[in-house]
Amino acid sequence: MLSFTSQRLAVALSVALTVSIVAFLLLHLSGDLATAIAGPEATAAQIAEIRHQFGLDRPMTLQYLDWLWRALHFDFGNSFYYRDTVTSLVASRMPVTMTLGAISLMLALVIAIPLGVLAAVYSGTIVDRLALGFCVLGQAVPAFCLGLGLIIVFAVHLHWLPVSGTASWKNYIMPSVALGWYAVPAVMRLSRNGMLEVLSSDYIRTARAKGLRPTVVILKHALRNAIIPVVALAAVQFGFMLGGSIVIEAVFNMQGLGYLAWEAIARNDFPVVQAVVLILAVIYVALTFLADVANAFLDPRIRLA
Amino acid sequence: MTVAAPVDIGTGLEAPAAPQRRRAGLLRRSFGHSGLVLGGTMLVAIIAIALAAPLLAPHDPYNQDLAHRLIPPVWQAKGGWDHALGTDKLGRDYLSRLIFGARISLLIGTLTVLISGTIGTVIGVCAGYFGGRVDAVLSYIVTTRLALPVVLVALASAALVGSSLQGVIVVLGLLLWDRFAVVTRSATQQIARTDYVAAARAIGCSTLRILISEILPNILNALIVVATLEMAHAILLEAALSFLGLGVQPPLPSWGLMISEGKQYMFFSPWVIGIPAAALVALVLAINLVGDGLRDVTAPENRG
Amino acid sequence: MKTVYSSIAGLLAVIAIAGAPAAALASKSNDTLVYASDSEPENVSPYHNNLREGVIIARNVFDNLIYRDPATGKYMPQLATHWTWVDPTTLDLTIRQGVTFHNGDPLTADDVVFTLNYVVSPDAKVVTKQNVDWIKSAEKIGNDKVRIHLVGPFPAAIEYLAGPIPIYPANYFKKVGLDGFSKAPIGSGPYKITAVIPGKGVKMEKNTHYWKGSPLGQPSIGKLDFRVIPDAETRLAELMTGGVDWIWRVPKDQATQLKSAPNITVLSAETMRVGFLQFDALGRTPGAVPFKDPRVRQAVSYAIDRKAMIDNLVGGGARIMHSACFIDQFGCTDEGVPRYDYNPAKAKELLKEAGYPNGFKTEIYAYREREYAEAVIGYLRAVGIDAHLNYLKYAAMRDAHRAGKTPITFQTWGSFSVADASAFTGVWFKGDADDSSHDTEIQTLLKEADTSVDTDKRLKTYQKALKLIAEKAYLFPLFSYPANYAFTSDLVFTAQPDELPRFYAAHWK
Repeated sequence: MLSFTSQRLAVALSVALTVSIVAFLLLHLSGDLATAIAGPEATAAQIAEIRHQFGLDRPMTLQYLDWLWRALHFDFGNSFYYRDTVTSLVASRMPVTMTLGAISLMLALVIAIPLGVLAAVYSGTIVDRLALGFCVLGQAVPAFCLGLGLIIVFAVHLHWLPVSGTASWKNYIMPSVALGWYAVPAVMRLSRNGMLEVLSSDYIRTARAKGLRPTVVILKHALRNAIIPVVALAAVQFGFMLGGSIVIEAVFNMQGLGYLAWEAIARNDFPVVQAVVLILAVIYVALTFLADVANAFLDPRIRLA
Repeated sequence: MTVAAPVDIGTGLEAPAAPQRRRAGLLRRSFGHSGLVLGGTMLVAIIAIALAAPLLAPHDPYNQDLAHRLIPPVWQAKGGWDHALGTDKLGRDYLSRLIFGARISLLIGTLTVLISGTIGTVIGVCAGYFGGRVDAVLSYIVTTRLALPVVLVALASAALVGSSLQGVIVVLGLLLWDRFAVVTRSATQQIARTDYVAAARAIGCSTLRILISEILPNILNALIVVATLEMAHAILLEAALSFLGLGVQPPLPSWGLMISEGKQYMFFSPWVIGIPAAALVALVLAINLVGDGLRDVTAPENRG
Repeated sequence: MKTVYSSIAGLLAVIAIAGAPAAALASKSNDTLVYASDSEPENVSPYHNNLREGVIIARNVFDNLIYRDPATGKYMPQLATHWTWVDPTTLDLTIRQGVTFHNGDPLTADDVVFTLNYVVSPDAKVVTKQNVDWIKSAEKIGNDKVRIHLVGPFPAAIEYLAGPIPIYPANYFKKVGLDGFSKAPIGSGPYKITAVIPGKGVKMEKNTHYWKGSPLGQPSIGKLDFRVIPDAETRLAELMTGGVDWIWRVPKDQATQLKSAPNITVLSAETMRVGFLQFDALGRTPGAVPFKDPRVRQAVSYAIDRKAMIDNLVGGGARIMHSACFIDQFGCTDEGVPRYDYNPAKAKELLKEAGYPNGFKTEIYAYREREYAEAVIGYLRAVGIDAHLNYLKYAAMRDAHRAGKTPITFQTWGSFSVADASAFTGVWFKGDADDSSHDTEIQTLLKEADTSVDTDKRLKTYQKALKLIAEKAYLFPLFSYPANYAFTSDLVFTAQPDELPRFYAAHWK
């Protein structure tokens, strides 16, 4: 277990390091930083001075190491647009995206797991077909269309929920549905498959043969084992959701990380963009690492493989 | 757009052991699979419409006529057959734009998958066939790619290279190869272990020849399945990018762009956004049905 | 089918709006006026942005030296109780006593001197130089007396002092610097800023100690909440559901629909804002090379049907503009200025003459009213020019334009509500950052016009310059913008043509 964990940790760390290089390059590919920092009306002399002052005339590797060192201390420099540090901008937006992601994931799990279990238990019947059909159809509806549709129906038409912003918990309902929608098919398929596999295994047959009630068999024995891969997937999905929330945040005008990044891209504010890319990627890496370890802990077959 | 995790597809694609015999019943099974038949019919129809766009479109999709803007579709009180689906905010014929838009979506889907499929297959096959260190390095590359938030990186890259049709295709092509790599890797691993590959190796076939004539044909089914699903993914992502203003540029009649532009009218003229949205859903649904269907019929033991 | 669809549309429009007050989150009941607009100033400090949203905040939070009555156009005392011209380059002002800033500091002649000297210093990096570059320096010549030295004669000085030149608190600004000031600005106006939240907006509160006798009057509404909502549909939906109380820039189609709503007032008014196409006549990017040829620029001007755009897209209140300024500004005229009436055949002919019989590919940059820009693209396409739209945030577009990366820029300019042509033509043609033609003849004429005390000569020189601009077609003026305001019927709000919502003068019913 220990060697498995340390091995995974090494992979996670090196992936995070590579991602940091990508983020660093993203910033530097966006154009001449000295010109951007100096502003549109700066003279050549001012630009040269800023280039020197910010150390932009040093070799790339040195700049990268310096940048990385500061990034490790949560220092991403200043936004080109706002008169604020990237760190404080990101910190103020983080809670929105995290809350949105967490609610979306919970919503997705609450819908998808029972649906998957039902589809597996009634495998081959109309229930199974309907559940799969729901999945296929769901995957085909773009998140922003769903979001706009929800706004028309529940905010403008029925007046139940607020349209935009992050003022209260009500603001999170529609965005969470639109975002969570996307995780449902994957989670449902996986819980269905896992359930099918477990239901056909020997010990479930034994349990059934012992005369235990079907619901007890399903809930107590089968589900517990079928859920293991879903845990891993849930972690991965959470990472994807944080990355995918940009569209939803844009539709619902929620000032989260995705929205911040989107606006920053439209304003050529690349210090913000690279920080968000890096943060989301590192969160994803951390989540998959934790999921791997948790999985291995729950299912001994994995760490021996 | 969130991405379904690669494990989802990976688990459904165990490469079968006896590829030759399986083909016999493939056609029969395909026609027996209702989802595949439905999706296939829809997809063929959309492709036909896209190919015959200049013949089918009643008007020039770019021809604007400000005096006849926002004419509702034929089923509404003020609609008429001259513009069966009405006109947009600049008086351009909506049906014609929709028809030409099918070309753009399909073009983006196909070209993106060609690029990403090539990258992903090369990585996946190499990782699966050579194993060991090659596998470790390539898998690490795949993991790194998975860690990057797709929409965000695509948006940022589109902003850097400038938004355009070519730009979107290249950016998506360079980003969406992960599933190809994951799936071809595991498929290759299984085929590489089979007797006939060992036999080919024993009679001294070159590695390249084994990869091309033994491995590739046998992972083709899996590849096609991933390609269809990725195509749907690319089309949805393009729509999202265009919606966020960093996809293709106006005046191209992209469906995503049409939704984005029609958003302004969503409260009072919902059809402006409803029509392209329905087209987009239909196309993605068709492709997904085909992809899921192909997965079922090529690997019937792994339904679901 | 027909009934189903029309009833859905009807339901959306009517029921939704009818139920609006029920869901009111902020309005009359808690004395908070939530107003929403699309763009966010990069910096709330009024000299450091050139966005209308910034101008609105400036006018509600800061005081000017002089006040111009929007109804009569007369200049009235504001912070300056009295002013006299010593000579054409020297202006003396007497500063009002007893006015305090929001932090309690008294507003004195020192604050005025500091502000004026600060904004003309290169360190200040004022975004729109035209607003201040006529000032050479300011000095204190008595306890409450300030003398402004001008760079040269500048008859429009009073108009500028009554517009984009708010007064800053010297001590506070020196203490916190520009960074601190932009996070917590302090003025002396009818509203004080309580929070600047990047990405969300600005919160303001009534200044209960606002000086008595101000020509602005006393503010009535307790709190102002400026929310940035980039999306026009979201703004509309928020208004319809009571999430915000006041929106503007409502497109013509929606404004017409909203008029039938019982709890929403729609107000349409003309503004000073003019939309126009600016060509990169210097040909600084590959797509801009054809625009070095005046015939190509003229061809584009002939290709666009402004009347059809006004009739169908822009709506009532808009007027076609022929000169590079707003027609009611002092100095602005279209007499003798060549006109480009819609003539696609002529456009094609000119393109052929210029060596582009099959047109060419180019890029157009825009930041607002995307459908106007797209209509322009449609017209260009009809004469063979294949233009693609780059739709950016304002700051990004401005930077790209200033860097010479934009062949055609779809600009709009509201002149900072300054009723003098220098605030328009000067910005785009006097050789500053936004000038993309760098025509020395025009620059000389404009400098002459802006510095001549003789009114007649001023008008004539402007006319000459405007004629030249139109002949060479450096800038193709489209039309003046109407403004469609929509707000809750609980609110009493009047609009002025200078596109400056005066929330301090608004009140609840």
